[in-house]
Amino acid sequence: MLPISPQIGSQMVDLGSALLLLTCFAIIAQRRLSACVDMFALQSVFLAATAVMVAFLTGIHHIYIAAALTVIIKAVVIPRILKQVVERLNVKRELEMNVNIPAGLLICGGLVMLAFFITQPIIPLGFLLTRDSLAIALAIILIGFFTMIARKKAVTQVIGFLVMENGLFLGATAAAYGMPLIVELGVFFDVLVGALIIGIYTHRLQDAFDSVDTTKFTTLKE
Amino acid sequence: MLQAAILIVAQAIILLTVSPYIVGLIRKVKARLQCRRGASVFQPYADLAKLFRKQPVVSDATSWIFTATPYLLFASTLAAGLLVPVFLSHTPLNFAGNIIALVYLFALGTFFLILAGLDAGSAFGGMGSSREAIVASLTEPAMIMSIFAIALTAGSTNLSTIVHKTALLEGIVTDPSPHLMAFAALFIVALAETGRVPVDNPATHLELTMIHEAMVLEYSGRYLALVEWAAGLKLLVFLTLIVNIFAPWGIATSLAPGALGLGLAVYLIKVSSLAVVIGVIESMFAKLRLFRITDLLGVAFILALLGMIFFYIMRG
Repeated sequence: MLPISPQIGSQMVDLGSALLLLTCFAIIAQRRLSACVDMFALQSVFLAATAVMVAFLTGIHHIYIAAALTVIIKAVVIPRILKQVVERLNVKRELEMNVNIPAGLLICGGLVMLAFFITQPIIPLGFLLTRDSLAIALAIILIGFFTMIARKKAVTQVIGFLVMENGLFLGATAAAYGMPLIVELGVFFDVLVGALIIGIYTHRLQDAFDSVDTTKFTTLKE
Repeated sequence: MLQAAILIVAQAIILLTVSPYIVGLIRKVKARLQCRRGASVFQPYADLAKLFRKQPVVSDATSWIFTATPYLLFASTLAAGLLVPVFLSHTPLNFAGNIIALVYLFALGTFFLILAGLDAGSAFGGMGSSREAIVASLTEPAMIMSIFAIALTAGSTNLSTIVHKTALLEGIVTDPSPHLMAFAALFIVALAETGRVPVDNPATHLELTMIHEAMVLEYSGRYLALVEWAAGLKLLVFLTLIVNIFAPWGIATSLAPGALGLGLAVYLIKVSSLAVVIGVIESMFAKLRLFRITDLLGVAFILALLGMIFFYIMRG
């Protein structure tokens, strides 16, 4: 028997996913690159906490492993790699963006509503206690995607990509209590290697163009 | 009837007497954090008393708006304060207006203060008014949205009903997420509306950065005293609103003398601790550049919007 009622547990999961979404907005509103990285680390901690809550409520043990891996890889290792990248580039903040901050915030608010309307017909059909988080997971994926479009610097684009991955993890947890452990491990490995490659590649970009602005790619010629 | 009248007068007296203390407390906290001893927390009372005794100087170029504004500002702020439950969850005046009336009573005072800033025709007054208009127009949607998020969970826009329900644990335990978002949004709005750091710096006398101070630059004597007192009152009403909507525990839900006394004591402790938090925030953060204020208030608006959306999402 669970020590807490399913209703309270479901609210805790909801609150955890709400905090995840909140950190997405903090990333959108932030100009300083190192603060963006910190926010991503915080988001990963919230994700792990939500996953632990789900594991505790359902008694599925492999979610604990996935949560521990989330903390180690996404809250410690990847932020450290990104911080090193930020330190070596002498770019501290992002001044030019494709979409300015207030407009970006409003667009993301719209994306949350869109995610809500898309998932609204599906959610009542579910029976899992995490089903409400599906809307938030979709919203986080859309916001991550938007960050990749709206920002010009390679580092923030990486963060957008990682935010999308966090959203997928939350979505999988919400829809099916997480993916099989072997898939989860594969995804973690992919993300880690991806972050490493993008880190190295950002250095190369800096060396070649003296800037990490990805719009410079349009000037590449054969 | 008599009982209601006594309660209304008591609430007005409490708000009026506590507000200079809150202003003094924030200054004291800031001074201590800067390793200064700072003035006594009761210094604002002495300042107000001194200003009331001084002769006001009014420019020949001003119209009636300039002299009427301090009274209007003071009255509208006090009226707004009487709509908010302070130490008793059912204010006797709760029939007179709901949370939307509260927002627009504040807006009325702000509107006249903006006009008064323009009235004297000085360059700084006009600049302050223009900036205040920007801030006011950006905070209003955020404030209304956060209030709707709270009103949705409580099922009413009446402040007394919201506070009473939360105090008896009927609202907040079933919906933590909308309340959390609305709290964050309302806190940012409170900082912006009452002219605190990071939006405005109440201690500055550097003309280029002033907002509120620039508007009231022409006031002196009792007019200045009223404007300053109204500003302190507005701050206190915002703090009251925040503590009593989001943490109303301890507030008197009945008219028993013991409950009233406890409600008053708990209220003073809660408001003072929030004032200390504001003092610490003012010491930790720098003032934002004027054109970055839209970012901060944009965040407040989105938070409030999320609070409302969460109310619908979380019900499944």
